[in-house]
Amino acid sequence: MLSAVPRRIFHTFFRKPPAQRVTAKVPPYIRDQLDSNTDNEQPLPHDFRTVYPEFLPDPRPEWRNRLRERLERNDMLTRRSVVAIPEFYIGSIMAVTVGDRNASDKTNRFVGICISRGGTGLRAWFNLRNVIDHQGLEIMYEMYSPLIRNIEVLRLEKRLDEELLYLRDALPEYSTFPLDMEPELLPEGAPVPINDIKVKLKPRPWHERWERKNLQGVQDLGLPQRFYNKAKLHEKPWEKYDLMMEYRATIPEEEQADIFHEIAPHYQQLESSRRQSKRRLAQTSRY
Amino acid sequence: MSLLSVTRSILYGGKNNLQKIEVINLLLQQNTSVLTGGTGGGATTRNMSRMKKTRPFWQPKSTRTLYPEELTPSNEAFGSEVISDQHTSSSTTSPLKCEPWPRGVWSEASMRCGVIARKIGVYPMWDNNGRRLLTTLLEVPDNEVVKYIPPEKLLEHTHPKKNNNTHTKEMAALVVGADPIDPRLVTKEYYGVFADSGLLPKKKLTKFLITPDAKLPPGTPLYASHYRPGQYVDVLGTTIDRGFQGVMKRWLFKGMPATHGVTKSHRRPGNIGSGGEKARVLPGQKMPGHMGNKKRILRGLKIWRVNTKYNVMWVQGPAIPGATGSYVYVYDSWYHHCRHTPDNPPPFPTFFQDEEEGVEEEMYHPDLHVFSKPSIAFNEK
Repeated sequence: MLSAVPRRIFHTFFRKPPAQRVTAKVPPYIRDQLDSNTDNEQPLPHDFRTVYPEFLPDPRPEWRNRLRERLERNDMLTRRSVVAIPEFYIGSIMAVTVGDRNASDKTNRFVGICISRGGTGLRAWFNLRNVIDHQGLEIMYEMYSPLIRNIEVLRLEKRLDEELLYLRDALPEYSTFPLDMEPELLPEGAPVPINDIKVKLKPRPWHERWERKNLQGVQDLGLPQRFYNKAKLHEKPWEKYDLMMEYRATIPEEEQADIFHEIAPHYQQLESSRRQSKRRLAQTSRY
Repeated sequence: MSLLSVTRSILYGGKNNLQKIEVINLLLQQNTSVLTGGTGGGATTRNMSRMKKTRPFWQPKSTRTLYPEELTPSNEAFGSEVISDQHTSSSTTSPLKCEPWPRGVWSEASMRCGVIARKIGVYPMWDNNGRRLLTTLLEVPDNEVVKYIPPEKLLEHTHPKKNNNTHTKEMAALVVGADPIDPRLVTKEYYGVFADSGLLPKKKLTKFLITPDAKLPPGTPLYASHYRPGQYVDVLGTTIDRGFQGVMKRWLFKGMPATHGVTKSHRRPGNIGSGGEKARVLPGQKMPGHMGNKKRILRGLKIWRVNTKYNVMWVQGPAIPGATGSYVYVYDSWYHHCRHTPDNPPPFPTFFQDEEEGVEEEMYHPDLHVFSKPSIAFNEK
């Protein structure tokens, strides 16, 4: 009986009808046949989503619009053709040159370690941290701001944690980098090295309760047992089994593939800038 | 209520009578409707909720109760085929059913038609000094003129007391629709609105007041290029419906402390009236109640960029009322300092994009940084 009910929704008239009646508020993802030319599809590298995470839109359904996302990606690619934005990760040491009206030579160069990164689309940003004259400095850069003249990766590496905000409470030597640091080169095709350094934190008080964050890259915190007991209470071990949470926080894989195939014509240009930054040899001038 | 309060504020702040009347009419006659399928009344306001909604004369009831018609899939497909034959087979010929009308010439008294747009998101742009702006993207989805209502016809349906000004008596109207919809979903009367123009029924229908020199024949498409970068627009939208809310959310009251002996009144408004001789609550007291789902108009928004391929315009500011995906109405700005000048007249009556050769895909405001240009360099002084 139900199958006899005519499916009269707007989509059925202009598009290929979906397999069943749409009940969700957000319609399921239907691949746009007109836009994807299946002939030219090349295999994409597996690490695309880690190298270019900001090309994936914000997964919140109430903010999504596929036309806006496409226009945004076009703008991002256009900007990337002007200024190369290299591959970098949390923990990489970078130098950024920006136009600065108030500087004497009208530009400002800052070197620091990338402690956090976020935003999607044109809103993408990253934070650099350094200690200069015993003063900790953090600068947030918008990746697609036209003020940015140059982004250099001086040392391409990853750390054990997803955010290095605990460097604010660490000893200053862990976030001190010379402003005249030479770029270190990696051999071609080498994987991104993971720096498993363990950072020593200063004694409490801290900005956050780091004992609750399950940090990998810190030395023993040296706290009394009651802090760990309290941290145990605040653990959320069930979250890794929460499929709905994961679903809401991610873009479906087939849609990710479509997005990356859409930017595939610009892939050469993206990859060349990526290779340039990788070509730096590891000179291991650690200090 | 909201429209009345807006009009009232304009009445007291307006400069001359003519404009006041014009604005009142503009606001009162911007009757718009949403085609809600099925149950309808999902979004109701508490204010005046018992008031019976009357549809304007140009807009009959659009939806009907759908029932299982027991159609086989092949019948269904045949219906779709017939409809697509009726409406797309004549794509080689002009969509206009009538002869082209003579096009008016812009003067400072002219009022152009607006467009129906869809809010599709907010993203940043940067200006030539590196200052970051937030812009709202408004898509203009398949807008077409459905009907022209001449002044004398419009006058028949307006209240004589509300329209006793000679200027507004000369106003005409254009009914504009956006987004085609399956004709089988709508009523026969609603389908009849589009019979003269030969268009598919539209999901969204609205009326724009114009001066008769800005009239357009039915079937004329309206594009985002109706507006140019640097022009100013007023955008009318329906705010997000937040339901019944307390004073802290609705009026940003401070509430009361969480501790120090406060019990059961952490989010309450506190005192609502004075004692003494008044001994009553004054009208207009801010209280809990329904929040959102009201028509709100933002005026004087600059257009920064227009994409003619996807029919999108980038409008100043992130605060255009409504959620992402909701419809808004875009008008030429009513502010004095935002109006068109004889030095810089708008495309009039609209921009006929199909007739023009070599229309740029992207039009930018000169102050806006274009992503394909090199990074901003400040000159040494």
